[in-house]
Amino acid sequence: MKEKLKQLRKRCLRLSYICQDGNLQSAFSCMEIIWCLYDGVMNWSPEQALDKNRDYFIVSKGQATLALYAVLIEKGMFSETDFDGMGSFQSRYCIQTDPTKFPEGGIENAAGSLGHGLPIAAGLAMAAKIKKRPSMVYVLAGDGEFCEGTMWEACLFAAGKKLDNLCVIIDDNHSVEAMIDMGDMRRKLESFGFDVFEAEGHQEEKLKEVFLNFAANGRPKAVIADTIRGYGSRTLTKEEIWFHKAPNAQELSMLCREVDEF
Amino acid sequence: MRRAFLNRVDRMIREEEDTVFFTVDIGMWTIRDILSVYPERAMNVGIYEDGMFGIAAGLAAGGMVPTIFGIQPYLIERTLEQIKLDFAYQRLGVNVVGTGAAVDYPKYGYSHYCAEDAGILKMIPEAELITPGTAKEFLRLYDQAYRDGRPSFFRVSDHPNKNHDIEVEFGKASIVQKGAKATVIAVSVLLDDVLEACEEEDVTVLYYTTLAPFDRDTLREVCGNGKMLVCEPHFSGVLDYDILQAMEGRNVQIRHVGFPREIFRNYGSYEDKLRHYHVNQEKIREELQQLLE
Repeated sequence: MKEKLKQLRKRCLRLSYICQDGNLQSAFSCMEIIWCLYDGVMNWSPEQALDKNRDYFIVSKGQATLALYAVLIEKGMFSETDFDGMGSFQSRYCIQTDPTKFPEGGIENAAGSLGHGLPIAAGLAMAAKIKKRPSMVYVLAGDGEFCEGTMWEACLFAAGKKLDNLCVIIDDNHSVEAMIDMGDMRRKLESFGFDVFEAEGHQEEKLKEVFLNFAANGRPKAVIADTIRGYGSRTLTKEEIWFHKAPNAQELSMLCREVDEF
Repeated sequence: MRRAFLNRVDRMIREEEDTVFFTVDIGMWTIRDILSVYPERAMNVGIYEDGMFGIAAGLAAGGMVPTIFGIQPYLIERTLEQIKLDFAYQRLGVNVVGTGAAVDYPKYGYSHYCAEDAGILKMIPEAELITPGTAKEFLRLYDQAYRDGRPSFFRVSDHPNKNHDIEVEFGKASIVQKGAKATVIAVSVLLDDVLEACEEEDVTVLYYTTLAPFDRDTLREVCGNGKMLVCEPHFSGVLDYDILQAMEGRNVQIRHVGFPREIFRNYGSYEDKLRHYHVNQEKIREELQQLLE
């Protein structure tokens, strides 16, 4: 794993330690996806964070916010020290994001409850089409999140309105398998009218190749990224309790060591 | 009221390029021209209120002014989390116009009744609830609120007031009669009945068409003795919290005319329901007499 991706994961661990909450397995599974989008795909920078022509990144799977914060710090949107009081009563940083606390931009939507991000992303993509703006809207969803009916309602709309400026990335970390057999997601999404791509979700370069080669053909895009929960730490991949658990000081150094050695 | 709204939508879509209109498969005949001429901004979008609300929130975040038209229970009850998270808590300006107020679909049963709407929306901070009594009032209120950057819910009734049209202001109660012995609060389509019942009475009549935000100042100012009769065309008692806040520190005596909080398992006509649930002039007179005793 690249040094940068290790640093980002260790930052997630520290944020979770400060906040004493979080979904580290889920944040680790989408780390490459978010980093790749912000580092080499999206038309976005802290200086453009309110630019009407920017690309958007919407977090639909709310468990990914730790990973988003880690990336936004890396890109200079926020500083590491901003997060010293993360999760405290007056902090604007916590597991849920609240866009009303970020007038300077950087946080686009209230991520927390599942099934909300994709419809909002579809609306943003539609607004960009109407206003003839070049914005591309990327939205990160979970495989389990696709149990929510609103996800499919938004797919219906996106395909019907030919939103080829919308890209939903499914962090397929195999969460849904514990709930229900979702069947063939590729076929499902294709039947809804999406261009569907499958990629190894921890291979940054391969993801980038997919993101940079979309056709402007009137079809929304879906990228099914095959990922592993907790990828980057042996303990997080093995122990289910880390779905929702924050590390203590000892665990923090143990997990950071694991990331270094991964 | 419905036709006035749809004509307003027609003009809005033609003249205002940042507006979008979604209908949930109703009212298409009146707006058939804009549906075909402006398909990217005026659309019969399909029957999926939850997702549509999220999409509208995204449109608002992208700088558009969306308005959604549908049937009240599906707009308010099916979509509660979207109203809370996507609209109100993210502070996004979306307009929702609902037909089927309370029991306006009297033969469709409780799947289509929605006397719960005011109570539900009043529990969502910063959501606006606007309940005009006539088509003219609707147009005034819509024009004042539809670009205010807040989620605005308009309830369109098929049984408007016929004898009174008030120059209402968004967020303000109108004093339509002055008196000394009590204050009668008339909400939306109950104004005609209230004014007839109170014609000979020495009471103040306050007319409310904006229920959220509720104009507490005017109530506090005019209701000197704390005696109140509240007439609401939805579940009774929804305004009590605001009334008590307005009257804090004073003794109050409140009586109610409105729909009781129970499941309506009956059918029949709109008039049958008003009679059965005592949402009528006779009941207003009776309650007022008891208040004044």
